[in-house]
Amino acid sequence: MNESSVSVRNLTKSFSGRRVVDGLSFDVQKGEVFALLGHNGAGKSTTIDLILGLKTPDEGSAKILGMDAAKNRKRVFERVGVQLQNTQYQSSITVEEACIEYASLYPIPADYPALLEQFSLSSLRKSFVSKLSGGERQKLSVVLALIGSPEIVFLDELTTGLDVVARREVWRTLKQLKKRGLTIFLTTHYMEEAEVLCDRVCIIKSGKKVAEGTVSEVIAASEQKNLEEAYLFFMGEEELL
Amino acid sequence: MRRFLRMYRVEQKIFFRSPDVILFCLAMPLVVFVVITMITGSKNAADSGLTYLQSSYVALSTVGICCSAFMSIPITIVELRSQGILRRMYCSPCSPARLLACDILCSGVVAALSTLILTVAAVAAFGYRMPGNVLVYLAMWLLTMVSMFSIGLMVASLCRTTKSMNVATSLLYFPMLLFSGATIPAEVFPAWFQSAANVMPLGVGINLLKSVSMGCYDKITVPVIMLTAITLICGTIAVKTFRWE
Repeated sequence: MNESSVSVRNLTKSFSGRRVVDGLSFDVQKGEVFALLGHNGAGKSTTIDLILGLKTPDEGSAKILGMDAAKNRKRVFERVGVQLQNTQYQSSITVEEACIEYASLYPIPADYPALLEQFSLSSLRKSFVSKLSGGERQKLSVVLALIGSPEIVFLDELTTGLDVVARREVWRTLKQLKKRGLTIFLTTHYMEEAEVLCDRVCIIKSGKKVAEGTVSEVIAASEQKNLEEAYLFFMGEEELL
Repeated sequence: MRRFLRMYRVEQKIFFRSPDVILFCLAMPLVVFVVITMITGSKNAADSGLTYLQSSYVALSTVGICCSAFMSIPITIVELRSQGILRRMYCSPCSPARLLACDILCSGVVAALSTLILTVAAVAAFGYRMPGNVLVYLAMWLLTMVSMFSIGLMVASLCRTTKSMNVATSLLYFPMLLFSGATIPAEVFPAWFQSAANVMPLGVGINLLKSVSMGCYDKITVPVIMLTAITLICGTIAVKTFRWE
């Protein structure tokens, strides 16, 4: 039987009376690449925050590797890597120093020079993070998410701001990591990305689940040609089709 | 421990890249000391029983503490919080407290380095010799540092935004730096002003250090209790009101 890596049950969170996450339930299996899809403000980042224990749910529960992240922070994050949206870095820290600093947080860190190489960042080791382009910084935050050799990695809008080449590099690396059994939980705005990478997707609208399944299941359920059109269908934007 | 040191080394390097640390913590006390000592070094500082050399060495040995406590520490912590770096650190097996501990250690090292540079200049170039016990002085210097740092940490905890933190640090830093006797010798102020300086936390520390540097240990109980109380009260408030984001 497959062990559930992430298990979300009836997760609900409101901010000042507005339900941002509304009765959300889904499971992510071990070794799976799972995407949470939705508009800006649909509740994707809040869902991630709730799963990671950065916010407390009003109702429901979220477990990572069978544990509640807020209660078992240390044990969970020894096995879980995270890339949060818009993470910033200390001013005047270099790429290499950021790697050393994040590696020092983990008992058995990954080999960061190899990770930098995989993401074509090796030549920038001595550069200040503040001088990197948006795409390079985004790639660095993926490197830092992987630096603890995690079993599960959360990537919140990982390729936003990347150019086509950089996006393909990230995809290539994530596919390699998936082959090695890494479980990947991601959010993205690019349906093409979800189609290429994901085993299963979950589409949410105003915090509620509107579709879930493998990419082909979701496309079939919508009777559309591809995931992007299926997404628009489930979002109720049929007039754009 | 080795992992802590690895992180500390990175943080300390980052610290020294900031020009204001070099300027305010390391260079400024030395420059002020050289100027005061060259002008009036051997004269008695009012009726304090100390020469200006003796008085300003002690006073300026706290400037590093003042800069670290009221500028570096609150600014660093509020920035780490507002930029989401503490939030990101929360998502790791290590507590964000380690990053804070690293930064406080960095500030302490800078304050110590500032005093060391001053001491070398005072002893080697101006023939300064401390009449009192150097080890007692060192202990009191550390107590002053810890208590001032606890004030800085309290500010960092209480200020939610960079803006309010800037106001608070300016209100603490400049008065303490200028009017507690740290840079401008307290002896040149009128008596009523001096008594105001004496109740500023840093002023308490400076007066204590002056007594100890002259070998007078009979009046140190009250200031030691005051500084310890500041440490306990501000430290507790800092911990109780701390937020990661």
